[in-house]
Amino acid sequence: MKDKLELLRSAAKAEIHAADSVQAVDEIRVKFLGKKGEITAILKQMGSLSAEERPIIGQLANEVRADIEAEIAGAMSLLKDKALNAKLEAEEIDITLPGKQAAKGSLHPLNSVLENLIDIFQSMGFDVVDGPEVETEHYNFEALNVPADHPARDMQDTFYLGPELLLRTQTSAAQIRTMETRKPPIRIISPGRVYRADEVDATHSPVFHQVEGLVVDKGITLCDLMGTLEKFAQEIYGSDTKVRFRPSFFPFTEPSVEVDVSCPKCGTKGCNMCKGAGWIEILGAGMVHPNVLRSCGIDPEVYTGFAFGIGLDRLTTTKHKISDIRLLFENDVRFLEQF
Amino acid sequence: MKVSLNWLKLYVDIDVTLDELCNKMISAGFEVEGVENLADTMQNVVVGKIVKITPHENSDHLQICQIDIGESELVQIVTGAQNVFEGAIVPAALHNSVLPNGMNIKKGKLRGVESCGMLCSGEELCLKEADYPGAEVYGILILDDSLIPGTDMREVLGLDDVIIDFSVTSNRPDCQCMIGIAREVGVVLNKPVNIPNPTYKTVSGEITDYITVEDRNFDLCERYMGRVVNNLRIKPSPDWMKKCLKAAGMRPINNIVDITNFVMLETGQPMHAFDRRDIKGNKIIIRNAFEGEKITTLDEKEHTLTEQMLVIADAEAPSCLAGIMGGLNSEIKDDTTELFLESAKFKRDNVRSTARALGVRTESSSRFERGTDIMNVQFAMDRALQLISELDAGDIIDTTIDLHQGLKEDRLLNVSAQSVNDLLGLNIDASVMVDILNRLSIKTSEDNGILNCLIPSWRDDIEGKADIAEEVMRIYGYEHIVGTSVKGVLTRGKKSDERMKADKIKNLLICNSMREITTYSFISSKALEPLNLNEADERNKTISIINPLGDEYSTMRTQLTTSMLTVLSTNINRKTKSARFFEISKRFIPKSLPLTEQPLELPVLCMGIYGEGEDFFTLKGIIEQLMQSFSLNVKYQKSAEPFLHPGRQAQIVLGDTVIGTFGEVHPKTADCYDINEKVYVAEIKLEQLYAAVQPPVIYKATPKFPAVNRDLALLCNKTQPVGDLIDFVSQTAGKLCENVELFDIYEGEQIPDGKKSVAISLVLRSAEATLTDLEVDAVINKVIKRLQTIDVALRQ
Repeated sequence: MKDKLELLRSAAKAEIHAADSVQAVDEIRVKFLGKKGEITAILKQMGSLSAEERPIIGQLANEVRADIEAEIAGAMSLLKDKALNAKLEAEEIDITLPGKQAAKGSLHPLNSVLENLIDIFQSMGFDVVDGPEVETEHYNFEALNVPADHPARDMQDTFYLGPELLLRTQTSAAQIRTMETRKPPIRIISPGRVYRADEVDATHSPVFHQVEGLVVDKGITLCDLMGTLEKFAQEIYGSDTKVRFRPSFFPFTEPSVEVDVSCPKCGTKGCNMCKGAGWIEILGAGMVHPNVLRSCGIDPEVYTGFAFGIGLDRLTTTKHKISDIRLLFENDVRFLEQF
Repeated sequence: MKVSLNWLKLYVDIDVTLDELCNKMISAGFEVEGVENLADTMQNVVVGKIVKITPHENSDHLQICQIDIGESELVQIVTGAQNVFEGAIVPAALHNSVLPNGMNIKKGKLRGVESCGMLCSGEELCLKEADYPGAEVYGILILDDSLIPGTDMREVLGLDDVIIDFSVTSNRPDCQCMIGIAREVGVVLNKPVNIPNPTYKTVSGEITDYITVEDRNFDLCERYMGRVVNNLRIKPSPDWMKKCLKAAGMRPINNIVDITNFVMLETGQPMHAFDRRDIKGNKIIIRNAFEGEKITTLDEKEHTLTEQMLVIADAEAPSCLAGIMGGLNSEIKDDTTELFLESAKFKRDNVRSTARALGVRTESSSRFERGTDIMNVQFAMDRALQLISELDAGDIIDTTIDLHQGLKEDRLLNVSAQSVNDLLGLNIDASVMVDILNRLSIKTSEDNGILNCLIPSWRDDIEGKADIAEEVMRIYGYEHIVGTSVKGVLTRGKKSDERMKADKIKNLLICNSMREITTYSFISSKALEPLNLNEADERNKTISIINPLGDEYSTMRTQLTTSMLTVLSTNINRKTKSARFFEISKRFIPKSLPLTEQPLELPVLCMGIYGEGEDFFTLKGIIEQLMQSFSLNVKYQKSAEPFLHPGRQAQIVLGDTVIGTFGEVHPKTADCYDINEKVYVAEIKLEQLYAAVQPPVIYKATPKFPAVNRDLALLCNKTQPVGDLIDFVSQTAGKLCENVELFDIYEGEQIPDGKKSVAISLVLRSAEATLTDLEVDAVINKVIKRLQTIDVALRQ
């Protein structure tokens, strides 16, 4: 009987090895281990054995059974993997086909540049404040040191809406409203829409956007203005950007400067982007004029400050190399979807 | 300010290159708008003398000229002109020459005879009679006999000059003249400036024997000086003066007129010359014009004046628009023998308003508008008389009329050097500041750290330490400014609540595939017409711009829909198949009209969509999401906007307030925008969204027990709004009802006329236990029973 069991063991193993499908292995399991299987048949004959033989044969039978079961499990697992692999192989796709995208939305380029700018200035502690677009002559001119007979009023052609009421020509008006309601230290930017009677062409628009900046505190210097604008320019145009001041004139600042940045394309060598100059003019700035501080009830002997006005449209067009400002207001999807 | 380099060199020694000069001036605050090298316009054209003329064998009009150009050999040039003669001095364009009209001349053969260039007419050299006598004669320009053959024609014509166009900022009216620019050049080059010191010969006489002057308005005419010159000798100006005037773009006329123009360009002080014969009553009266009074100015235009305008009148009528332009009646003529010369200071805003009102802008008015120096009035007068004397143009009577109510002395300004450094953030030595200020003609000494500055009369712009700081800085050099950090506690800046909410709305819309647009805040006065609004509609109450750029941009918008429709139209007509847009901007709502105070500027959101797959409900879905994200419980009701499809529009109602409307655009409105497909727009006022208080998010446990779904097919009237039906079912089902979903609406076969079938699915769930059939049935039965009361039955 012992020999018979060993024979069964090797026969089963041979058959399992030869089996090539899950089904075939299952048939082998039934043949050897099933209720009417060959091992079972042998175990049924156990009663005919002597008391000494029975435990030995019993043990052997169980061992053979376990051995076959293990072989079957192993074969099954291999065959299942094989079947799965075949299935996966058949399911292969062409991964070069295009992906399925949800339609995209986007911020207008002016606002995506503005958000970037707001983020930079917020990180430097500037609050963001808003002012009205319809302003009084007082806030747009007088309080900014531009009295009625001042020739600087000729510098800007202003849209009037009524007596003393106009569309603001600069976000600087927001400086005054801020200084009237806050006490130093003041650190704000005020982005918004401004208006000037410029005929529409590739570089002019009667509606455009500025970001005004204002810092007022004890001991604020022109060097602080440079430091602030350097940080801003480096965030926008790259960390090796240089900033340069040129003297200029604005009624509401003294000293006043035009601010240039080294050309983001060529450094300062000169190229087509900067028209050979090596520098690009990006904004006007200066130290807040003592008359302006005084008109807001801030003592210019105690406090100083600086202010700057960034042209957002120009910043956007130079950043994205947009050749015509009119594209910003035309809103062609093929333009908008590039940002 | 266009500056001739040759003229500038009369005042200051310029020993740097043109580039260096320009860069130094830019660094000092004088932007260079352009540089024009006149020499570039004419090349290789020389003075030639016609030595011999022979006829051309093959032509009856061509002549062969042998020209002496100052070299050992003669040059042969063929010409077709008939006015040439042997011995004539003419301009000869040689081989490879360039003419101001753009022509390039090369040698060639004319009917078989070699011609090594071209003899030029005045026209070919772009000259007018005033530029060179005989320039407009038909034929070759015959030059002055005394010119030496071989001389470069640029030298003859004054084209050996460079014109630099400096931009002068409005705070520096003193630099609107040659002397002003020369002063600045002297400072940047650290060179002395040679300013004329006028002296002249006079003849004795009492000016009041010839003329009297009365200033009736010292407010508008702060100073008026007059001189009389007799025995005028009117003739052309000398070449040097003509060249100066031409370089500045002015036309030489005669010695007297040219002197007034030259002095204005040199000193910045406009002058005026009257023919004394034409001053009626020998009296000059400075007065306001009478309402409706008329004057014909030098340019032969008649102007009707108002009381606000200042005139220089004689005993009878205005002779001059003060500071702007002279009258035709008293201009200097070829036979004028007696001159009355005026130098005055007129108030700048009066000159500006008069010049604007009359539409006249002259070299004179633009200088008065920017502001002139009361002390310069006399200097300019003296300089003009010096030139009259030097050019022997007449006999100067030695007495003067000079009316004013006090003159100005140099102002003393004390500024501490430390305060200048404090403002700049630098540490410039006081002695350096003193040196810079003195170079700038601000006489300065230092006393214990205090700068005592004497501000000259022409620097009204310098008021305090900030101005002194700027003067020091622009000469010291801005390259010395080194960036420093603002001192103080650094915290992150804040955005207003409104901005944060706008950001949130934008994010949500972008996630819904929308693209943000930007449009102008003003629209055409006719832009509202396609909306077909009711006359009483608030949106008709628009603010008009008083001085618009044209009707297209004349009206502040009270809504954004028209701008959106324009953008939709642009994209549709450019064949973009579908798009979703939004814009957040302002509505301008007047508190009263005409406008007397600042209007309300209210935030508003506009959306516009079109294309395959878009309909009323895709837009509504976005709006629902938006309202949910602000936790606003709004209702959607039928609305009646005239520019929307009458059956496909709704208003968004929050409490009792309509906060927006949306729907399909009415085909008639769409047609006005050249839109031939279905487009959908929404306009939502944002005040309520901005004001909405967001409840904090509190976690709710996810359900522990399973939900039960029950589907009901309901038969109701065709007109029954399904939204209302769902709300009714949901409310009736009570607190066990988690959701009611619509899954089908059906009309047609098996459905009676006038009815529709609405299939809904109720989701019921209890938080406490699994619902039993009994509990579910109870709810469903209640719903069915209550539905009968609103004429809705279970479909059999």
